Amino acid sequence: MSSAALLTAEGLTKRFGGVVAVEDCTFSVPTGTITALVGPNGSGKTTVFNLLTGYLRADAGTVAFAGRRIRRPDPIRLYRAGLTRTFQQARIFPDLTLVENLVVAIQQPWRTIVCRAIGRDDRSRAFELLEEFGLVQLAEARAGSLSYGQKKLLEFATVLMAEPQLVLLDEPTAGVNPVMVAAIETRIRELNARGLTFLVVEHNMNLVMRLCDPVIVLDHGTKLAEGRPADVRNDARVLDAYLGA
Amino acid sequence: MHLVVQACILGVLTGGVYALMASGLTLVFGVMRVINVAQGALVILSAYLSWALFTHFQVDPFLSVLIVAPLIFALGVGVQLVFIRSLRSEQAEELSLLITWALALGIEGVLGAVYETTYRATNTSYANSAWTIFGYQVSVVRAYAFGLCVAVLVLLYLLLARTRFGRSVRATVQNPSSALLLGVNADRVRALAFGIGVSTAAAAGAVYGVLYPFNPGSHYDLISRLLSIVVLGGLGSVAGAVAAALMMGVVEAVVAVEISPVWSSFSYFVVLVAILLLRPQGFFGARERTL
Repeated sequence: MSSAALLTAEGLTKRFGGVVAVEDCTFSVPTGTITALVGPNGSGKTTVFNLLTGYLRADAGTVAFAGRRIRRPDPIRLYRAGLTRTFQQARIFPDLTLVENLVVAIQQPWRTIVCRAIGRDDRSRAFELLEEFGLVQLAEARAGSLSYGQKKLLEFATVLMAEPQLVLLDEPTAGVNPVMVAAIETRIRELNARGLTFLVVEHNMNLVMRLCDPVIVLDHGTKLAEGRPADVRNDARVLDAYLGA
Repeated sequence: MHLVVQACILGVLTGGVYALMASGLTLVFGVMRVINVAQGALVILSAYLSWALFTHFQVDPFLSVLIVAPLIFALGVGVQLVFIRSLRSEQAEELSLLITWALALGIEGVLGAVYETTYRATNTSYANSAWTIFGYQVSVVRAYAFGLCVAVLVLLYLLLARTRFGRSVRATVQNPSSALLLGVNADRVRALAFGIGVSTAAAAGAVYGVLYPFNPGSHYDLISRLLSIVVLGGLGSVAGAVAAALMMGVVEAVVAVEISPVWSSFSYFVVLVAILLLRPQGFFGARERTL
């Protein structure tokens, strides 16, 4: 594992009225890792994702990505800088074809807006990704016609179109059948082997333990533990708060 | 039978003009969830601009579209950026209704101050000409108007279906937050879409001034028709708006010749209510809510 942090969050805090969703949360995602962010329901994992991607504005704390402090996280700027994410419920464009879904994610110079919707190179890149994700035979189908698991794969493939450095996966295997879980795990491993860094929120602890390192545990919006999977698994505070043992 | 066919021809030609006005309205709703009740007033503003160009500079009203449409486009982009963009998303639908209504009243007020309430019409040399095709009379002006509307609708379709901008618009319509997170500049897409939506009013306005006499208050009748077309077509669906507008044109024309012109306008609303009882989402609502 590389020790250089690709993403750093320091003192992140977010309140919704009187409810503290995230409080003084500090952690980092080392470059080249598959880092897990786990915790019981309501522990603030998705809120942290939303804060990191600029989807929510933090009440306090800072975020740094690729060595640069992000003063006001903004989804578009972060995306262009190489940080992107998926959602618990796959957010695709149901009336666009799979190819169209993928090319939405490609940055287009403003002067090209009236150019052909899908350029040759973009189409070629989209087909490559669809091939990797086993969706190429559905390339021209409407995305709304896909199964839930296929939509997850499509969303995953879409965020890779812009060749990001860091992908935040929000429960990538939730509600997905075991075959599709294996496919998603394989994709994550292969992409990580090529140098892509992941931060994964996941409830499937078996998957987390075999796929991720390090593991960060949240509870009530604060960081409870951080370390290698085996260490976290045996941490008394985690067992007490998270596993309920 | 001859009269019915003649009425259908007239209805289709008239419906095409309404299709153009309504397509812009439904596009803006689809992209921004903004009900632009100023669309009718913008049609009338464009009709006045076209009339002024014809009266003072002898610019043919169909050619005047090339001047009027960019002006209305710029006005639309400006209104979106200054007044609508800053609305909070959860209140945008309601507040934008007020803003666009204020815009409509503002346009009506300015036109009233400049031109008073006198009815105007753009009377071209070919205003009363007609072709006879297989024994049916086809008004030259209406045929030109229909042709212009079809051309603009085809351009609109190509823009939305075949270009990168169109893809961004469709993505923003279907999933704004996801489009944003994939780097689509939703603010820019919305501003341009609003500009394009009101530009259709500009093209239709030039045509409207040739077909009908108008004064600053003519937008009230227009907007009620346009909203009913958009609802019948399915909110946000350009294809639905075109289908509903053509249906409106044909129903009104056929009722006018078969029953009485008195019932002509009312008949469309009867059909509208009947269809909405069976299909509340309109022709292309719900499943095909997009473009």
